[in-house]
Parts: sequence; C-alpha cells; structure tokens
Amino acid sequence: MMQQKPSDPLSQGSRQTQAFLQTRNRRDRTARKAFFGITLIPVFLIIVITCLLVIRAWPILSSQPLADLLLGEVWKPTNEQFGFLPFILGTLWVTLVGVILAVPACLLVAIYLAEYARRSTRTIAKPVLDLLAAIPSVVYGVWGLLVIVPFVDDILGPFFHRWLGFVPVFSVTQPTGFGIFAGGIVLAVMIAPLIIAVTFEVLSTVPDELRQASLSLGATRWQTISKVVLPRVLPGIIAAVVLGASRALGETMAVLMVVGNVPSIPTSIFDTAYPLAALIANNFGEMMSIPLYDAALLSAALLLLVIIMVFNILSTFVLQRILGKARI
Amino acid sequence: MKKRIWRILAVVVILTSLLAACGGPTGGTAEEANSTDLQGTLTISGAFALYPMMTVWAEEFSRLHPDVYFDVQGGGAGKGMTDTITGAVDIGMVSRAIKDEEIAKGIFWIPVTKDAVFPIISAENPFAERIMAQGLSQEVIHKIYISGEITTWGEVLGDPAISDEIHIFTRSDAAGAAEQWAKYAGGEAQEDLLGIGVNSEPSIVDTVSKDPLGIGYGNLNSIFDMGSGNAVAGIMVPPLDVNADGVANPEEVFTQKKEAMQAIADGTYPSPPARFENLVTMGKPEGLTLAFLQWILTDGQQYLEEAGFVPLTPEQQTAALEKLE
Amino acid sequence: MKKNPFAKRHIIETCMKVIMLASLILVTGTLGLILWTIIKNGIPAMSWEMLTQVPKGGFYMGKEGGILNAIIGSLYLAGGGTVLALVCSLPIALYLKAYLGESKWGSYVRLALDVLWGIPTIVYGAFGFAIMVSLGLRASLLAGIIVLALIELPIMTRAMDEVISRMPLEVEQAALAVGSTRLEVALRVVTRQMLPGIITAVLLAFGRGIGDAASVLFTAGYTDRIVTSLFRPTASLPLAVFFQLGSPFPEVRARGYAAAFILTVIVLIVSFGARLLSSRLGKYTIK
Repeated sequence: MMQQKPSDPLSQGSRQTQAFLQTRNRRDRTARKAFFGITLIPVFLIIVITCLLVIRAWPILSSQPLADLLLGEVWKPTNEQFGFLPFILGTLWVTLVGVILAVPACLLVAIYLAEYARRSTRTIAKPVLDLLAAIPSVVYGVWGLLVIVPFVDDILGPFFHRWLGFVPVFSVTQPTGFGIFAGGIVLAVMIAPLIIAVTFEVLSTVPDELRQASLSLGATRWQTISKVVLPRVLPGIIAAVVLGASRALGETMAVLMVVGNVPSIPTSIFDTAYPLAALIANNFGEMMSIPLYDAALLSAALLLLVIIMVFNILSTFVLQRILGKARI
Repeated sequence: MKKRIWRILAVVVILTSLLAACGGPTGGTAEEANSTDLQGTLTISGAFALYPMMTVWAEEFSRLHPDVYFDVQGGGAGKGMTDTITGAVDIGMVSRAIKDEEIAKGIFWIPVTKDAVFPIISAENPFAERIMAQGLSQEVIHKIYISGEITTWGEVLGDPAISDEIHIFTRSDAAGAAEQWAKYAGGEAQEDLLGIGVNSEPSIVDTVSKDPLGIGYGNLNSIFDMGSGNAVAGIMVPPLDVNADGVANPEEVFTQKKEAMQAIADGTYPSPPARFENLVTMGKPEGLTLAFLQWILTDGQQYLEEAGFVPLTPEQQTAALEKLE
Repeated sequence: MKKNPFAKRHIIETCMKVIMLASLILVTGTLGLILWTIIKNGIPAMSWEMLTQVPKGGFYMGKEGGILNAIIGSLYLAGGGTVLALVCSLPIALYLKAYLGESKWGSYVRLALDVLWGIPTIVYGAFGFAIMVSLGLRASLLAGIIVLALIELPIMTRAMDEVISRMPLEVEQAALAVGSTRLEVALRVVTRQMLPGIITAVLLAFGRGIGDAASVLFTAGYTDRIVTSLFRPTASLPLAVFFQLGSPFPEVRARGYAAAFILTVIVLIVSFGARLLSSRLGKYTIK
C-alpha cells in the first residue's frame, strides 16, 4: 500500500478506494471458491444416487446372475424368482408406441411453428405447449382413465380387430381398454411438448440465409425444409426424439393408471403390460415384507436410471453441439 | 436485491423452525398425561380394506379423547406389516392371517372385524340363471382359477353343448382379496391365480360387469351397494356351493348385503375367502395403543355394520380382549 | 417462368401445410380435451367442503369431509421444496454465468444438470426411500420436501441458466466496463435484469413439484390431518387423487376427480401467474 500524508484529502480518498477495490476483489475470489463448491452439487448428486441404488440393490445383484434377472420371465417374489424381462419389455413396448405416435405430429408442429407460422400463431402455441408440459402426471392418468381407456376399448379395439386383426401385433387380446396402446397414447401427449420444443430450437439454429438462398432458387417452402433445413439438423431431431423417449421411459403415474399392470410378455399393442416404473410404484409398500424384494425393486430403479442416463447423455451431447451455448 | 433475498431466507428459516418446534420428532405412543384423559399421536398404516373403517374409528375415538391424534395411511397389508416391524407406525392394518416368521419377529395381533371375498359374474351372463341355481363349488373354482382344467361355462354347468369361454379376471395389484381367493381356490398365493389381471378393485368389478362371459371376485363392500344392500348394478353374486351338492341351497345364496354379513359372522361362509382383519403391533401394546385397541374391540364394534364390515361375535371379542391382557 | 400451381411440388407444399396445421390443431385440441375432461368430472364433485375441510370419519366411504389436508400438504411440500431448491439453484446459475461461461467445467455442470433433469421422479422417490430406510426415518413432510427439492433443482437451474444466458451482452459489458467484479455483476446486475426470468423459473419448478406423485409416494406418507410438524407424514393432492380413484365407492372416486381438478387449477394459476409476473416485473429490466 502506498504511503501518503494522512492530511491529504485526495490521498485519503484514493486509499479508501484502493482498500475498497481490494475488498471487492477479495470478495470476488472468496465467492469464487465458495460457490465453486455449490456447482459440485449436481455431479455429486448423480454419483450419490447411483451409488446408493447400487448398494441397496446389491443383495439381489450379487446373489443371482445378471442374465437370469434381465432375461428371466417369471416374477414370483415369494419364490425368490425375479425375472425382469416382462417389465423390461413392457417398458420398451409402451415407450415405443408412445414415441411412434408422438414423433410425426410433433415434428410437423415444430416445423410449422419454426418455418411457417406467423407470430400470432406462435404466441398462442407457446402457452398451449407450456400448459401441456405443466399438467401433472396424475391428471394425465385421470384423463387416460376417463377418455383413453374407453376410447381404446370401444373404438380403437374393434377398428383394429376388424381391419388389422390378422397382424399379431395389432390383435385384440383382452377385453379391457387398459394396455400398451392406452399407455402409449397418454405418453405420446406427455412427451409432445418436449419434442416440439427441442425440435423448434434445433430448427431455429439454421441460418435464415440458407433458407433464403433455397427459396430464391425457386424451391417451395417445403422443398426448402425437406432438402435443406432438415438434413442439416437431422442429428438434433434424432436427439430430440431420444430425449422424448427417455422421458417416456421414466414416466410413472399416468402410465400406471392405464397400462393394466399385469406381468406378462406383451405380444400385441392391446396387451396389458407392466413397465418398470409402475412395478416400483405399485409395490413399494410390500418392499420390506418379502426377502430380497426391496433389493429387486431398487435394482429395477437402478436399471431405469442407467438406461435413461445413457439416452440422456447421448442426446444432450448432440444437442449441446448443435445449439451451442444457448441450450434449451 | 441481496437484502431482499436475505430477508426472504430469514422468514423461511423462522417459519421452518416454528413448524419444527410445533411437532418435533414424535416418538408415537405417548404416556397418559397427569390428567385422566389420554393424549398423544397414533400412526397407523396398512391394508386398504381396513382403511376406511380405521378413519371412522380414529374420528370417533378422537371425539371421546380430544387430545389424541391419528395419522392413518393406506399402502397395503404388506406395508402395514413392514411399517410395524420397523417401528415406523404404532399399529399396522393387516387383512390376512399373520405368518409364523412375523410372529417370530415379535408381532402381536388381534382380530377386529371380519369381511369376505365373493365371486362375481356379469348380470348379462347368458347362463346366469343356471349358475345361480347351481352355485360354484370349491372344486370348480379350483379348476377355473388354479389348474385351468375348466375353460368354458359348459364345463361349469356340466353341459357339453355350451362352448362359451370363461373370461377369467383376477387382481394384478397386490391385494388381500386376491390372496384370500387364491387360498380358497387351493393355491398358495395371489400369483397362482389364472386370469387377466385388472388393476384395482373398482376396475375388476367394472370389467366383469361389462363382460357377459366374465368371472371375477371382490370384497364385500365393492360387491354390495352401500345404500341399498343389493348387488352393485351389472353384477351378480353366484352362491358358493359349500356343501358341494350341486345345488345352491338357500343358506348359500346372498342377494342382500345383510344376508352375506350374517353368513360371514356365523361362519356359514367359509374362511377363506372370509377372513379376519387384524391389527398388529410390535410386542404387546401399552398405553394409548392399548386403550385404542380395547376400545375398538368394545365400543368400536358398533360402527362396523353401517360401514359394511362384520362385527366380531361376543366370544371372539372376549377372546381378543383376553389376549390383550 | 409462370408458376404452375399444379406442379407436383406445389401440391406437396399445400398438402404438407394442411397436414401440419392439422397436427397443430390436434395438439391444441388435446389440451382442450384434457382440461375439459377434468372440469367435466371434477366440478360435479366440488363443493365448498372439499376446499375447507379435512376428511371426516366416513370420508372414504362417501361421507363428509374435504381434502384441505391434501391442499395444505401439497403447498407445504412444494413450497418447502422450491425454497430449498432455490437456495442451491440461484448460486449455481449465477456461478455458471459469472465464471463458467465458456469453460469446460461449466459444460460438465450443465451436462450433470441435464442428466439430473432427465432422471424420472420415481427414481428420486426410490432413492429417498432407500435413504430413509437406511437411517431409520419415518415418512414425513421433511423427507418429502427434500426429495422435491432434489427434483426441482435441475428444473429450476436449467430454466434460470437458459434465461440468464440470454442476458443482453451490452448490459453485462457495461457493468464490467465501469469496474465491477464478476461477482458483483452476478449479484447486482444479473439478478435485477433477469428477475422476471428467475421468478418464472422458480414458479415453473414449483408447478412441477406440486404435481408430482411418484416422489412423495414413498417419502411423505399420507394422513387425514393437516400436518403441523416437519417430522410427521402429510397428505398431498396427487396422492389424494391416486388413492381415491382406487376406492370401491363411486362417491369417493368422484372426489378423486375433484382433487384432480383442484390440482389442475393450482398448476394453471401458477403457470399463468408466472407469465403475468414476468411481464409485470419486466419494467425493471433494460430492454
């Protein structure tokens, strides 16, 4: 610190200023170190959650070969038979139906909003999508129970049976409206806002000049989109779909209420199924009363976690690259 | 901005500590206070079958003893048992018999009411009259639900001309009713039951009512309407041919809830599928828990009938009370 | 060259426009259908009682009472969870802005947040339950709050991060130019400028938290009383819906619909409120 004559008012001022500057810089550095700790929390959380699940699932993971667990078809906890295959397949079927139903419509909506829509349409669309995303899972479940299950039962079932019944995947195998199809429809609506939003963002990264260039050559809008814009952002769109799928994999309550919850291997979309998430939710109460049951259910949770993390990380990598710093 | 954040945080911290101070980690069962009245909080969880009844009991008991509070949850019989074993609750509601391993862990139980599971068929069943006249014997039920030897209604009625398939329905969620039905049908556990799994009680009743060829089962309260006492619209209750004489005897037929309840009470309806609903505690109950259980076995019994549960007979009551001593 | 409206590509163009519009209408219509279903089934069962009373003795058999326990419980759960998440989210978001703009670590943190965002709430619930069992804790309001905070953290932080990264560069550069440290920029300038966005993020997370059932299923328990202590179980609206829907009594099921209606209304209010607040508070920001 510079030595000044204490009586000099100007120097007093500048000493104060310098002191203040140093304090502020010190604060800055202290805060930097302290707050750095806070940013460790997300990473820390992921590690803790994974580890705890592994630890609690260990009793069953160590006592039965992994192949038996993952490929076993029989689920009889009282007999210590924990075959997860029906649940894994159930999860996959329901997710697949949901994604297949959602993707075409979502892509079209996103393309329309990004390429064609006027500002007024977009201002209406945004709240609609926000609301769809905000509706709680149980409310979707109630809607599914009241509207979709009867719809599958009374309309879709007979329709498919009449025209497509010869295809095994579309055959109506049980008389209730509960099942994979109902679950898929509800899931499709639930993941729609996400897929639309991400696809919209991805499409927005395409520079306008590209579109202008194409249009000035005489291409129609659609030709521009299909031949210029879409190929460019295809990885992003795939990533959006994968993200939507990962959300569908984990969705619990709404699917639970409409999918039937019967642990058998599905053969048709009208079959009932029992996704992993529903398994965990339905049986948490029984967890401790049968040996190994809690380890089994937590290993189901672990399995779900791992699959979803992989999907998530892959799609996030792609999207971060495409969207740059301005992530969704 | 910073000041506002701190102020908000301060308010939140104060509010939180107030909340925490109000309660604190309650141990559960409280001793009787110096005053003669009981006080404390009882935490209860378990079978959904008993849950509505327990809330009635909780309210009536609180009316008599205003300083006693209840936290009652559902979650299923398994949860009730587990929570009691781990000490998470004071009383567990268990809608099945208590297993030996559980008794070995220190579980103490008393029966508090009886209810039962009944078979149901659709009111639109083309063969309803004949089924109602003949009844379903235990052997027939075993062959439908466990061994799968009977697959058509014709085989049930002994009429080879009828080839309509039986659409068998069972519960897919863990249910005491399913376990009782399985035991009656000769199996050991719910998983032994054949049939299309339907999730939840209202769903199975609904599904059977819509399927003329369907057969299912359900609890007393789901099958008979609360108000009128008749079978719920759309379903019929085939009699269980208890004496296996191929005919539905008058005492085997129930058209009204009262008749069914009477049969359960006096034992003419077999157990299983009738069962005692039990309350369990870890070790012998004391203090507030004991007082509550004693009340349930005496004054509490008066609320059962209206709710559609069968009260214990005087002998059963005395036996249970003695057990509590 | 004159445009030939019947050229194949023009026909395709028109067709695609029609299909796209139809898809948009489908999506919007579905929202309308959902809201209509909830309103149609929920309103008949609604009564002043539902909002102001707790379940009385015979509630689960169709008698008197309401779901005030679930309403208050949900507000406590989501409120507590949101506050707890906010305490961690805001620093993380500000730190990301202030120091980690382009750094490698910053992108790892963002990746971690995205992963956390994608973890289904049932896994969080199972995780919370596993901890509770290991520590011998009972189901309680506090446990529910903590799990909800875990779930809301990535939602809130992500939303904040997104908003904050849209901050006009000129404002930030102006602040730096007059000599503020990065910390001061974060604490004084960013928060004020981005306040609407931050509030929106908080409300968004609150809305998600209050509607989630899978997380509180294992951890918060259920009770018919209004919770008075952090260490006792509490009811919640999503669970009220879920449990009542499984009842054999039609009157109780109808109440489940009413509970779903109340929950939806709360979420709608929060959603619109967020929008309104962000535009009202926008007057303090520099456009």
